[in-house]
Amino acid sequence: MELFLQTLANALIQSGTYALASAGLALAVGVLHIVNFAHGEFLMVGAFVAYWLSVLAGIDPIASLVPAGAVMFAASGAIYHASIRRVLLAPELNALLLTFGIGITLQNLAILVFGATPRVVHTAYQLTVVTLGPVSVGVAPLVTLVVSVTLLAGMYAVLYRTGVGKSIRAVAQNRTGAHLVGLDVDRIYLLTFGIASALAAIAGSMVLVRIGASPHMGFGFVLKAFAIIVMAGLGNLTGVLWASLVLATAEAFVRTYVPGGGGAAEAVFFLLIFFTLVWRSWRTA
Amino acid sequence: MRWVGPTVVVAALLVPLIPAGGYQQYVVQVATFVLINAAAALAWDIQARTGQLSLAPAAFFGLGAYAYTMAALRGVPLPVAFLLGPLVAGAVSLGLGVVTLRLHGLYFAIATLAFAEVVKVIFKELPLDLTGGAVGLTAPPLLGGHQTGLYYLGLCVLLLVVAASLAIRHSRLHYAFTAIRQGELTARVLGVPVVRTKLLAFALSAALTGMVGAYATSRLFFVIPEDTFGIGLSVTALATAIFGGVYTTAGPVLGAIILRSLEEGLRLVLREGYLAVYGVILMLVILYLPGGLVSLWNRRSRDAAGGD
Repeated sequence: MELFLQTLANALIQSGTYALASAGLALAVGVLHIVNFAHGEFLMVGAFVAYWLSVLAGIDPIASLVPAGAVMFAASGAIYHASIRRVLLAPELNALLLTFGIGITLQNLAILVFGATPRVVHTAYQLTVVTLGPVSVGVAPLVTLVVSVTLLAGMYAVLYRTGVGKSIRAVAQNRTGAHLVGLDVDRIYLLTFGIASALAAIAGSMVLVRIGASPHMGFGFVLKAFAIIVMAGLGNLTGVLWASLVLATAEAFVRTYVPGGGGAAEAVFFLLIFFTLVWRSWRTA
Repeated sequence: MRWVGPTVVVAALLVPLIPAGGYQQYVVQVATFVLINAAAALAWDIQARTGQLSLAPAAFFGLGAYAYTMAALRGVPLPVAFLLGPLVAGAVSLGLGVVTLRLHGLYFAIATLAFAEVVKVIFKELPLDLTGGAVGLTAPPLLGGHQTGLYYLGLCVLLLVVAASLAIRHSRLHYAFTAIRQGELTARVLGVPVVRTKLLAFALSAALTGMVGAYATSRLFFVIPEDTFGIGLSVTALATAIFGGVYTTAGPVLGAIILRSLEEGLRLVLREGYLAVYGVILMLVILYLPGGLVSLWNRRSRDAAGGD
């Protein structure tokens, strides 16, 4: 029972990071209708910004989520202007391949500049553990969960309680209609892409605290984020939450209960997504 | 421009005779890698012509490679083991094709990607004495590992893929593929057997990719899950085809000649991170040259070997 609760707690914390990483991707898909394959690399950039701020300026990596998000928000604006906006009306695969190119470039630039070795940060609270009944959780993971939940709640609040959020939802529903009633669609796209990318960078600084940073970290996350948003249904933001929970739980339980399940946990993730997709396609057809 | 194809073949035949002095072996080695990339890219392109973006080439490449290696290590005669590569990859792809038939666009891409990842993990987690686990296996070389001989074998592999591509281009299948790509519903209404055609394209492409995998393994002498099933293979194949020009026979081959030579050159200068060049090229081509390199050519002469 203790092991069961502990596994559940780990799954919950992991699902927080997954949901944060996937929410940005879901936002880009839902509003801009592009699939951003570079999302994982944006996450990696965020992790490295937080890493260097911590090493060079001694800023706490959790506090770095603000500069990490800001850097990626600005950088994604440049990326949007230079490339993304040109493929918005092209076939969807063009956008996919374009962002794939951006991702590969960023990853390899990171390898060139920082080297391929994984980096870790050391903080005073990293080894501190909180015990809640039978379950004990590290302070750092707990903080990342709190940050994730806060940010996701904030995102929902912006989307459903503010004027900007209403504009974003209007553009997502119907680009032409939104344009006709006087919304500046291009600016909404720019803003949404910026928010989505900033969320990735913030998720990156959270991953840095819990695991570390490496140029290769992005790809695993983008695959999982894809799995999550596809399982949720493209563009469905609420679905992202439960899909993150389901996949993180499945992963955690296989890791704990299947002997030698460390490697198999990865497969479970992709098996789930594969069968969800296939099952759905045959059911609805 | 009928002379282009034969000229390229003759040039390829002459590569091992280039008097490159001490670099002779290196030149042949790079040329062999070009052949492998070209064949993989063209095999990917064949199924992309039906409008489905597959991210599973790595799975079929790996299945071909492992089929060859595992059979050869168990005493199966090498030529038979080599044939097992395309057979196994083709058979598996039929199963995958049937299951993913109703998925389109992004959903299809993600499903094939997920499939490739699952296959990789399976081969990593199978018992050590079967697949060698994460460390992989040492593969017996074909033709006793003779470098020049293997280069010519690679050329045969590529020519086989080219032949398949040209055969489709000059048959009714070309129109079926194109119709499905441009609108599956319309194609169905026009009487194109959509299901059968898509499965054919998928299985043919997978079998050819499996053959490339078996060949590459007989040249590289090892299989290892992280590399042999690596997503890098799928990325290289599609980036090469898109750079050269999709839906053509010449495009992927041309793309492979340029990209792989460039990659090897950069590898000498930079030990890591040279793949950035693939990323930059992919971005530039999508933004400024969506038809790939061959579209530059086709702009001047409309009768070039492929495009539509």
